[in-house]
Amino acid sequence: MSGDGSGAEDATGEVTATGGTAADEGTADERAAENVTDGAASDPDGEAGGAAGGPDGTEGGAAATGVGTDADRDDGLLSVSDLDAGYGELQVLDDVDLVVGDGEYVTIVGPNGAGKSTVMKAVFGLATYMGGRIAFDGEEISGDAPETIIRRGLSYVPQNENVFAGLSVRENLEMGAYILDSIPEDTLDDVFERFPILEERQSQRAGTLSGGERQMLAMGRALMLDPDLLLLDEPSAGLAPELVAEMFDRVDAINDAGTAVLVVEQNAKEALRRCDRGYVLVQGQNRYVDTGEALLADEGVRREFLGG
Amino acid sequence: MGIADTYSRGRRLVVERPLVLVLGLVAVLFLLDLARKVTAGSLSVASLATFLEEGLILGLVLGLAGVGLSMTYAILGFANFAHGDYISAGAFAGWATTYVIGGLGTLPLGDLLLLGVSGDANAGTVGASVTSTPVATLVGFVVAVAFAALLTLGIDRLAFKPMREQEGIALLIASIGVALALRYVLAFVFGTSSSGLTAGDPSILTIPPITIPDFAILGFEISGVAVLRSPISITAHELTLTFGAVALLVGVHLLLQRTKLGTAMRAMADNRDLARVTGIPTESVVRATWLVGGGLSGAAGYLIVLWRGTIAFDFGWVLLLLIFAAVILGGIGSVYGAMFGGLTIGIAQNLSLIWLPSEFSTAAAFGVMILVLIFKPAGLFGGVTTA
Repeated sequence: MSGDGSGAEDATGEVTATGGTAADEGTADERAAENVTDGAASDPDGEAGGAAGGPDGTEGGAAATGVGTDADRDDGLLSVSDLDAGYGELQVLDDVDLVVGDGEYVTIVGPNGAGKSTVMKAVFGLATYMGGRIAFDGEEISGDAPETIIRRGLSYVPQNENVFAGLSVRENLEMGAYILDSIPEDTLDDVFERFPILEERQSQRAGTLSGGERQMLAMGRALMLDPDLLLLDEPSAGLAPELVAEMFDRVDAINDAGTAVLVVEQNAKEALRRCDRGYVLVQGQNRYVDTGEALLADEGVRREFLGG
Repeated sequence: MGIADTYSRGRRLVVERPLVLVLGLVAVLFLLDLARKVTAGSLSVASLATFLEEGLILGLVLGLAGVGLSMTYAILGFANFAHGDYISAGAFAGWATTYVIGGLGTLPLGDLLLLGVSGDANAGTVGASVTSTPVATLVGFVVAVAFAALLTLGIDRLAFKPMREQEGIALLIASIGVALALRYVLAFVFGTSSSGLTAGDPSILTIPPITIPDFAILGFEISGVAVLRSPISITAHELTLTFGAVALLVGVHLLLQRTKLGTAMRAMADNRDLARVTGIPTESVVRATWLVGGGLSGAAGYLIVLWRGTIAFDFGWVLLLLIFAAVILGGIGSVYGAMFGGLTIGIAQNLSLIWLPSEFSTAAAFGVMILVLIFKPAGLFGGVTTA
């Protein structure tokens, strides 16, 4: 991914800078920033404060980040800017910016309740979209039906219950290619080659698979359309520790084959070690953006999110 | 496996699940009593066979109607109380067509369309039956299926689609409203009295009396045991219903297991949100489900009237209670459960006639349902989320 490196780094610098400006300008953001410094990111009180402060901070934040992200609006494959989203009346994301370049491996980390998964759900229309821009390949996709989004080359693996338990392994994979007129045998062979266990178990019901196998099946299903970008929501959740590294290796392999990957991870250290770039999301707002290495080395990130 | 093992297992059964034991004993008693009745001659084999046959036919009809109900429950997440009235509406549309084709030229069109509410169209003048008016019956059946399917789709557009994201309970109440509206539209057009529609139902298949010829076992001479003393006749309408229902149920099975659409239906029943993000066009799957479920209800309605010979504006609604019993017994949401539950309820209701007066037969069917739910609260096929 070295080709995209410089552009990505530029984007990073700007967003980080804006984060600083927003904090200087908006009182709500200031309060949130203090909470984080005190190590109270996971404190429920801190979260409530952030949620309440959200609407107030919106104006200042939008103005500030708007300037910063103009440059990368249509640069990336997926480019999200000033995204506000939530569930029903509850706003979770506040002016989130995010760019994933062609073939890039990007990770979103952050404490519980930071809205990491909500970013993906908003892209796929599962969360309530409240404003901002979501563009894929330069075209606005907010409000599109999932089947339209998938057709553009974007696939998504949700965190929980991500296989059809009552269907066979093969049927699960076939459903991944529903929008095609016939089953793409080549892609199916590729998926079986990548995950041989799935070929072995193709007539078994998905509900009888182990956690690791289910995760492979869910990824395999998302790869059935050979997407340009794969969204993975906490692929390591619920896996036994010895399987986590294996899972990360698989994501690496998918990315090495040319598919851009956006991963939401609880397992922050490992995720940042593997990715090209990382976003740290706190209380529904961008906090840090940089290369994975830089974030791992950053004093603030280490202290607040990686346990020293 | 020593005696001690067997003993401790038996002991566990008695201690932990005494109800199972009691029920097992009761079931054995019933079977013994049935055997006694048959051998003693107080219950003839012919009438036992008739009970079973009637039960099987009722069961097939309940299964057919229940499959549609279960499918829409699995995919849309609500129990549709209007399903019974889809059955009635389909039957009325189908039979009006049969009457128009069967009686055109001899009777005024209006009389025929209204199925004898006024005028002279009735069983005697039109003489509809599978054997005397085969074309009219077939076309009527097709119209019943098509009408119910389109009606179902139209009602979805009008009433249920705007509420798609609502809770199941809100949709359920809306469906009761739809049921009432439909039923009284039917009553308004066709009146509230029950009318006879079919003219005769010729017996086309007869099982002759069976007597085992004399034979000898271990030196004992056994002579002329009559297994079946009087002939059993199967009518054309019973046969039509059986074949029609079985063919449609096999069709549903093939649709669900062998086609892409059917797999998508099962996927949606499994997990609606996942189906959406996988790229399955969920709205068109929902439409297809309504079409199939509605079509099956129309088929069931037409066949029931063919079998019973009479039609009334509320017969589907009355039947809905038994259909729900069948679907719940099988595990609501499971298509195979609905088929199996239908047969169980149908046969239980008819076999209960051996011991109980006919007024209690519906109660007996529900008794069986309650017993099943005590042991398998999710129904026989419950938890198997395969559409």
